[in-house]
Amino acid sequence: MAVSANEPRSPGILGDIGVGRILVMGTMVLLAVALQSTLLARLTLLGVIPQLVLVVVVSLAFLDGPRVGVVVGFAGGLLQDLLLPQSIIGLTALVYTLVGYGVGSLRQFAPGESVWSPVFAVALASAVAEFSYALLAIILGQEWVSISFTAKVAGLVVLYDTLLTPFAFPLVRRIAARFRPEKVYRW
Amino acid sequence: MLFAFLGLSIVVITLDFRQDAGGPLDRAKDISSAIVTPIQRGLTAVVEPVGNFFSSLTELSSLRADNAELRNEVEEMEQRVNEADAILTENERLVGLQGLDESYPTMERLSARVIGRPPANYKWAITIDKGRDDGIRPDMAVIDPDGLVGKVIRADADASTVLLLIDPQAGAKARIDGEPLAGAIRGNGASEALSFVDVDTDAEVSVGDEVVTSGYDNGIYPPNIPIGTVSSVESQKAALEQDIDVDPYVDFTTLDFVQVIIESGERVPSEGD
Repeated sequence: MAVSANEPRSPGILGDIGVGRILVMGTMVLLAVALQSTLLARLTLLGVIPQLVLVVVVSLAFLDGPRVGVVVGFAGGLLQDLLLPQSIIGLTALVYTLVGYGVGSLRQFAPGESVWSPVFAVALASAVAEFSYALLAIILGQEWVSISFTAKVAGLVVLYDTLLTPFAFPLVRRIAARFRPEKVYRW
Repeated sequence: MLFAFLGLSIVVITLDFRQDAGGPLDRAKDISSAIVTPIQRGLTAVVEPVGNFFSSLTELSSLRADNAELRNEVEEMEQRVNEADAILTENERLVGLQGLDESYPTMERLSARVIGRPPANYKWAITIDKGRDDGIRPDMAVIDPDGLVGKVIRADADASTVLLLIDPQAGAKARIDGEPLAGAIRGNGASEALSFVDVDTDAEVSVGDEVVTSGYDNGIYPPNIPIGTVSSVESQKAALEQDIDVDPYVDFTTLDFVQVIIESGERVPSEGD
């Protein structure tokens, strides 16, 4: 494990994160979108597709905090809007940006090395993301399905995302850890 | 920083609302597609056998059930052919479609094959194998031998996206065949009945009434295309509208070949207009 330093984080938007790390995170998000639209689109649970991109966003936010959460959330959300359009373009970007920020900010309240924390984070984030998306779409004037149908789909998405987490999170963590810069801020 | 990206998201959303085809977002879509499509193709090639295996596993029991059900249905249908009512209903529906040919003697239709379904949880659409190069443009109506399927929402060079009638956004203006009263069809997602909305509470709607397009929506859906039959009517005294369910003619789960109405042509008025 990298040696922890006592110096405070330097300012600057992504200055201390490192180009390699940014590229790797970008690739992970790209792969998540591609996987979600191919393999996972066929492995539906009662007709519902899991949101792997959200799982990756939550994982990265959980590991690296709110700034990474915001950027990865925006990028992942925007990619999903452009490639897997559902309603308004930019809406997933908006929702995932907020979710990334939320998870990144609240992760400090998660108990130390508990295996359940990321799973719980994904479950909660999925629920919030699904309902926020529907709510915002309705507010923006889009015709939407009934609340009960939304709840049914959202419930399945939460379940499916949660099932994916024990596989996705450790993988994301391992890949992200490889590219951690030397100056580690241990929390 | 949060606010910067929130602001960016809102800009994107606003752009989506205000742009027409060919705007910066469409270009962004094309660029992202160019990057991701090769990855998707590679993944699909690797993943397809695996995916097929797993889907066939999960589908096995429902396929068996479907098979048994279909066998029963075939038997039932063979019997029903001899019943006068069934023949009449069948006949009326066919007249509706044939009426299409009669109402639109110069209608130009283009057949296309369904090649996929864009993967999304709250959007019901299909991709077909004809596009702009074949003359397809957004807002063209799409039908199949059973009735109205939906409308084109995106036309790339050699493929198009068709929004299905079961999607809440597809919305066709509709009316009961043979009656002037009008309303609109609203999809409720897969395996849910269509809703016939904006119908006057005074209007007389009964179960079994045939619903067709009314054509009152700026020329997207030509009038008189069969949509389905009324399956339930709930009219509450205090409510402003009736709660009407419509059972669509088209089976949206087994779409294979569809026809895009390129040009409806001059409409010849028929009885009941």
